[in-house]
Amino acid sequence: MYPEKLEKYLLKVQKPGRYTGGELNSIVKDKDSVDISYAFCFPDTYEIGMSHLGMKILYALVNSRDDARCERVFAPDVDMEEIMRENGILLYGLESGEAIKDFDIIGFTMQYELSYTNLLNMLDLAGLPVRSADRHSLTPIVAAGGTCVCNFEPMADFVDLTMLGDGEEVTMDLIDLLKRCKADGKTKEEFLQAAAQIPGVYVPSLYDVSYNDDGTVKAITPKCGAPEKVVKRNVADLDSMFSPESFVVPFLETVFDRTTVEIFRGCIRGCRFCQAGFINRPLREKSPAEVERQCRAICGSTGYDEISLCSLSTSDYLGLEELLRSMLPWANENQINVALPSLRADNFPKELMEQLNTVRRSGLTFAPEAGTQRLRDVINKNITEKEVLSTCAQAFAGGWTAVKLYFMIGLPTETPDDIAGIANLAQAVVEEYYHCENKPKGKGVNVSISLASFVPKPFTPFQWEAQDRPDTLIEKQAFLMENVKSRKITVSRHVPRTSFLEGVFARGDRRLCSVIETAWRNGCRFDSWEEHLKFDTWMQSFEDNGLDPYFYTARKRDFDEIFPYEHMDYGVTKEFLRRENLKAHSGQTTPPCREKCSACGAARLNGGVCNELRKAVV
Amino acid sequence: MNFVRLWYKKSGLAVYTSHLDMNRCFTRAVRRAGIPLWYTEGFNPHPYLTFLLPLPLGTAGEREPVDIRTLEDMTPEEIKSRLNSVLPEGVEIVDVTQAKDKANEVESALYEIETVFAAQEAAQTFAREAAQIMAGGSLEAEKRSKRGVKTVNLCDYVFGFDASSNGKSAVFRTVLATGTQNNLAVSLLEETLEQRLGASPEKCSITRREIYKTGRKLFE
Repeated sequence: MYPEKLEKYLLKVQKPGRYTGGELNSIVKDKDSVDISYAFCFPDTYEIGMSHLGMKILYALVNSRDDARCERVFAPDVDMEEIMRENGILLYGLESGEAIKDFDIIGFTMQYELSYTNLLNMLDLAGLPVRSADRHSLTPIVAAGGTCVCNFEPMADFVDLTMLGDGEEVTMDLIDLLKRCKADGKTKEEFLQAAAQIPGVYVPSLYDVSYNDDGTVKAITPKCGAPEKVVKRNVADLDSMFSPESFVVPFLETVFDRTTVEIFRGCIRGCRFCQAGFINRPLREKSPAEVERQCRAICGSTGYDEISLCSLSTSDYLGLEELLRSMLPWANENQINVALPSLRADNFPKELMEQLNTVRRSGLTFAPEAGTQRLRDVINKNITEKEVLSTCAQAFAGGWTAVKLYFMIGLPTETPDDIAGIANLAQAVVEEYYHCENKPKGKGVNVSISLASFVPKPFTPFQWEAQDRPDTLIEKQAFLMENVKSRKITVSRHVPRTSFLEGVFARGDRRLCSVIETAWRNGCRFDSWEEHLKFDTWMQSFEDNGLDPYFYTARKRDFDEIFPYEHMDYGVTKEFLRRENLKAHSGQTTPPCREKCSACGAARLNGGVCNELRKAVV
Repeated sequence: MNFVRLWYKKSGLAVYTSHLDMNRCFTRAVRRAGIPLWYTEGFNPHPYLTFLLPLPLGTAGEREPVDIRTLEDMTPEEIKSRLNSVLPEGVEIVDVTQAKDKANEVESALYEIETVFAAQEAAQTFAREAAQIMAGGSLEAEKRSKRGVKTVNLCDYVFGFDASSNGKSAVFRTVLATGTQNNLAVSLLEETLEQRLGASPEKCSITRREIYKTGRKLFE
């Protein structure tokens, strides 16, 4: 439900369904029937936020408690923001229409650095001061979780606390604590000090950061009993973990409008550029029976006719064949399409492949990430040209005519040969098509290259590396275009300004808080949307605050430099990442966890593939 | 295969759901209700489900038709109760019948427009002056169609207009050309009247009450 004041403006904005609530399966509870009200905020528009699995899980989880309610909040689009500001309408929860400033917890899920200004904007629209120090009362507590909180220092002044790792358990702990503190009339400071003792909770205000003359971090000092290192939370057993049986079904079409069920968390691959592959270790699988049970339950309660099995690398799921053999007959009978993103088709049973395609056929995509075997070894991307070509040949014979290839430019050690290699690989796919005897008759092939820019991320072996400057990346893009000779190949690229900002904040420190605030006050928001990005305003904000953004991106770090996020512990050790970095520079690959343990450090956390390996050793 | 015509009521928050979104909403509801739909047999099979007359965004509907084709024989009562137990708030099946008339037989529909003003006097004035204009038979406005924008006399599309006021509300009950041949968007009539009379209501809600075929007979 929306605030009454809003009604007369609803038909004046784009897609009013974003702002009304009232969707099927949404859970509306009376404020007075609960102790804790949790506003779950997604710092982007409704269509994007409603596609996010984490939000669906935590929404159902918090609402499963009798003493708490959870409401959804999204960033209003610019047209709606204007109306809200003009008419004094405060940001509200979609379920009750009540202003979120009166909630107890305002929790943001932070998936992308370029949504940072949206967090500030949403707090402001809620009628709250954006800085933690200016919010004095116990509630609302402003919290953040998600990928970005592995280094949330650039946002440290705005949020009261962050939650590291899996949210299922720590969210419950936090609600329990706040409920007690509210009942006991505790102050915000007392609550935050107690919260810092919950494993996985980080309270930025309880740490002092000092800097060296060269601008690097000198020391990070905890106070008031806050832990030296904050260790991420890790749910050991995914089968017994809370999982939603129903999703809110939006009226509007959202980006991913379907049943999504996780099959595992973590990844065994260790691609050296991939942050998700390191911060989610160890790999933990859900049993095929549990996955199928959840798929059936959610399809039943939502009416969705598409299931996406979600993980970082579908093919590594040990139970995949068992799951599909059991689930596909049901899916086909009920006209349900099962999508397997990032499936490696090379050794996948053909008959299952055919069953998968009976309802609807999706595209064929590969992510070689780099153009030559040398560079693929550097980044530890375990895919060979031969595999790409043989899978393509199979697919062409099966009637496919379009292939999408994902690459990155700006990777460490990259040479012009590597960039030309991207064009060569695409060309080889085109030639494979014309050599294929069973190719579809009378049709051409279309190979599209999607080109991203490499951004070094915390907790990866490349966290010490320099990031290419935007102008270098543009030159590299142009060089690639020169090497593309066929009209069958299309290249999609973008201006690498967003990657640049992403890079600044990914490894940035607390001093950037003022830059983000300045940029936001000068109108920056929805920075990930090309049409909204105000790049000059950003550059001016760096200057106004006396900071050089290239200090954060273009500089190669020494191994003994203290990172701004040194006090975060995601299981993988700095020593392991250093070893991986050295191996990268000597072109050595590292086998996946199941083949050989590389002693990354994540085994300290409970569960998953590490136990599996231990059992095998014993 | 069974041809079934569902009649639904759309109100409350659901009025902000567009035509395309309603389509998805119904397809999913039918799946949740466990009513086996007949799927088209083309290259990209999809369930057969057709809205006969799109309801504009923001407009409520009292009794709106949707045609489906089912594979199992179910009583109208069973279909109705199964669907109503799974439909979202604001969407409700009011009747399930055999399809009698064809979609292209729709000719007009009865709309109720309620505008709420800050003061009772403004409501009375708006109702009175609107009635005068409509009785005069001339109200020009720019009308958009597939062939472009042209200026038309809206009164040519209005087959009945009854204005009254009730407290702070002005209420119009009007029969407008509706359907594939000749159609007037109800919001265009309302907005034009507002503009012409310089009225600025606090709130406006529109409901389609009845759908007619030739001779002002109920479309069935």
